[in-house]
Amino acid sequence: MKQLRHISIVWFAFILIATGCSGGTSGSKEEGAQQEKVLTIGNTIDNVTFDIHNHGNTQTESIHVNIFEYLVKKDGDDPRKKLPGLAVSWERTDDLTWRFKLKEGVKFHNGDPFTAADVKFTLERVAKDKSLVDYSSYSNIDQVNVIDEFTVDVITKEPDPILLARLSRISSGILPAAYFEKVGVKGFMDDPVGTGPYKFSKWIKDDRIELVKNTDYHGEKPNWDRVVFRTIPESTTRISELLTGSIDIAVIIPPGDIQRVKDSGSTYYVDKESARVQSLLVRQTPGTVTENPKVREAIELAIDKKAVIDNVLGGAGVPTQEAIGPGILGHSPELFNTDIYNVERAKQLLAEAGYPDGVELTLSSPASTKEVAETLAAYLTEASFKVNLEILEQTQYKQRDNSNTFKELALQGKGNSMFEAPLQLEIFITENAAGQTDYSNKEVDELLKAAATNLNDEERAEQYERAQAILAQDRPRIFLYQNKFNYGVNNRIDFTPRTDEMFYADDIKLKEDE
Amino acid sequence: MGIYIYRTLLQIVPVLFIITLIVFILVHVTGDPVAMMLPDTASAEDREILTQALGLDRPLYVQYYIFLSNLLQGDFGNSFRYGEAALPIVLERLPASFELAAASMLVACCIAIPFGIWSAVKRNSVFDLFISGVSVLGKAMPSFWVGIMLILIVAVQMGWTPVSGRGGFSYLILPAITLGTGIAAEMTRLVRSSMLEIIGQDYIRTARSKGLREMIVINKHALRNALIPVVTITGLQLTNLVGGSLVVETVFSWPGMGQLIVQAINSHDMAIVQASVFVIALMVILINLATDIAYRALDPRIKYNR
Repeated sequence: MKQLRHISIVWFAFILIATGCSGGTSGSKEEGAQQEKVLTIGNTIDNVTFDIHNHGNTQTESIHVNIFEYLVKKDGDDPRKKLPGLAVSWERTDDLTWRFKLKEGVKFHNGDPFTAADVKFTLERVAKDKSLVDYSSYSNIDQVNVIDEFTVDVITKEPDPILLARLSRISSGILPAAYFEKVGVKGFMDDPVGTGPYKFSKWIKDDRIELVKNTDYHGEKPNWDRVVFRTIPESTTRISELLTGSIDIAVIIPPGDIQRVKDSGSTYYVDKESARVQSLLVRQTPGTVTENPKVREAIELAIDKKAVIDNVLGGAGVPTQEAIGPGILGHSPELFNTDIYNVERAKQLLAEAGYPDGVELTLSSPASTKEVAETLAAYLTEASFKVNLEILEQTQYKQRDNSNTFKELALQGKGNSMFEAPLQLEIFITENAAGQTDYSNKEVDELLKAAATNLNDEERAEQYERAQAILAQDRPRIFLYQNKFNYGVNNRIDFTPRTDEMFYADDIKLKEDE
Repeated sequence: MGIYIYRTLLQIVPVLFIITLIVFILVHVTGDPVAMMLPDTASAEDREILTQALGLDRPLYVQYYIFLSNLLQGDFGNSFRYGEAALPIVLERLPASFELAAASMLVACCIAIPFGIWSAVKRNSVFDLFISGVSVLGKAMPSFWVGIMLILIVAVQMGWTPVSGRGGFSYLILPAITLGTGIAAEMTRLVRSSMLEIIGQDYIRTARSKGLREMIVINKHALRNALIPVVTITGLQLTNLVGGSLVVETVFSWPGMGQLIVQAINSHDMAIVQASVFVIALMVILINLATDIAYRALDPRIKYNR
């Protein structure tokens, strides 16, 4: 018994020490400081980094937009509309030069004044360092010239119609040049500094990031005392946190939980169309069954896209036949929200293609879209295709994708952080499609290459629309639906989702304040 | 004893070397970190540029050589995901995992030792059968399911505890019960069978025939010997727990080693995976050593010198 007692005492001491040493989190503080206005958001993954040039993650950017500010800011509803940020005005002075007038009197969180030198440092760092993840999105910037303390010229290598889109996203948050050079990347990671309405307070990895209000903010007074971004990967846990009121907004509500959020009495559900489009990559390599355009058309006609959206995604999508959605230049309304499901016609086309008894093909999908892939396979089977379904773990899927080793079909989602057509269309240019879909159409190549450097928006829209019309016929990809992203929100909060999925804390209000 | 400890410590070097080699190969053959880092609109050229910039285009043996030479200087390299040195990131997760491991073990011991003893003493009674049944059930229930059920009932319905995250004592209750009951299920059966074996031995009969009270026979004479296998399993489970309970830490958003490893594997964050496995391997060896020493404390007849 004495031994047992000893063991118990040792354990008890151990747990007390461990609990005492834990460093804790804000639990007690949150309870103790009830007067504080705190906004808590539940994300699925942690902040990747504070080196804004070294990631491509939307949830991380949704935190960063409160700390760092862009020269130009996207409108919440219409991402192509650009609003003044740290730049008060801008103009294109020639095909390669954009001039920005900067806001005066802005201070970084550490007290340093914001000047043209900071813009030069920020943009040239990401445009020149090839080891940075976001380098390729900025490599068209040749140099940034400081004209005076509050004027800069951004010089591009080629005419760049989407420069403003580049400057209103992930890597364009302006960094404090002097501070960054003094403390280095490591020092900056420990104590990131921007010009935004909220200052970094603490980061407990895989748990939470806390921001506090910047009382010296150059714009309107920040709305919240503290903004907390929690990392809650498991959806049941995230929704439970929302239902118990521990978080105000939960991202990504799975279809099975949407009704729970709607019915709880203390929360509501909102969704919004994203720029992400789900499609089937279709190989046109000579020798494959999908080389035949009739087979490709039969595949598209065999799938009831609307039913997939309603039954598998809980309604969170819009059926489409185009690569880009509304709000993006080049969007084709006649290809959006269409219903062309016709299983009988699909069977007929297959017979005309020489496969009256059906034909075998392989459909690959990442595990994350397993349910969608299974439903697609069921529809294809109904139209007499014999489908080999290949569900791959995420890293394995990416590897197959990069090595161009998918067979006839692969289910893929493509996002678009710039809300501009090139990101989703240039994969169809012959050189880029080689090995992947092996699609080649001279007219499409010409249209897309011309549009990439065309500074006339009207002409550019026509070029993209024409290319999209051809792609809808040629089907190097069969576009399925534009994803909607969704949120569960506490009733005390007034929240309207933005198309770019950002959480600008000051656009989120307490209902009682209104 | 001294020689035994010395010899065990010496074994650490080749063991860790082999582990780093295996992990290095596994991480490299299962996927490309660059593919996981870049957005899905990245082109083949973007991937190539970043691959070169990170030195991932060099032959595997060159990469391993560089990794090993850095390792000898205590440098596991930088995490691709966080862009920081890997070892401090791993080490800063240890307190959270220790805290959860200790609390779970406490829950397990508090359940398993009394119920195991009681079950053995009342062998074949209704109580014994009930405990055996519950143990089987406890072992059969997957921990993620138990965790989610506890969240839905205790945190959401009753509102007695927070749902997830790490904070004060209240945050520890649900994950510790989830993990602790799973271990207790196995441990109870072990305590019971170990106790049954001991109480059938001659010296226990002698103690009883001397007229000692049953309480003293069990607690003073039987328990100490019955605890040896329990210490073994406690040690083994502890290494599992500190190494990170992958599923339970994810369910409860517990920022420990488990969540870190899951994220690192998903993003092919080589340096974090290496540093985590290295730290866990080191802990397993040290905890095993501590367990051996604990045997000796419980049973002085056990000798390691030969």
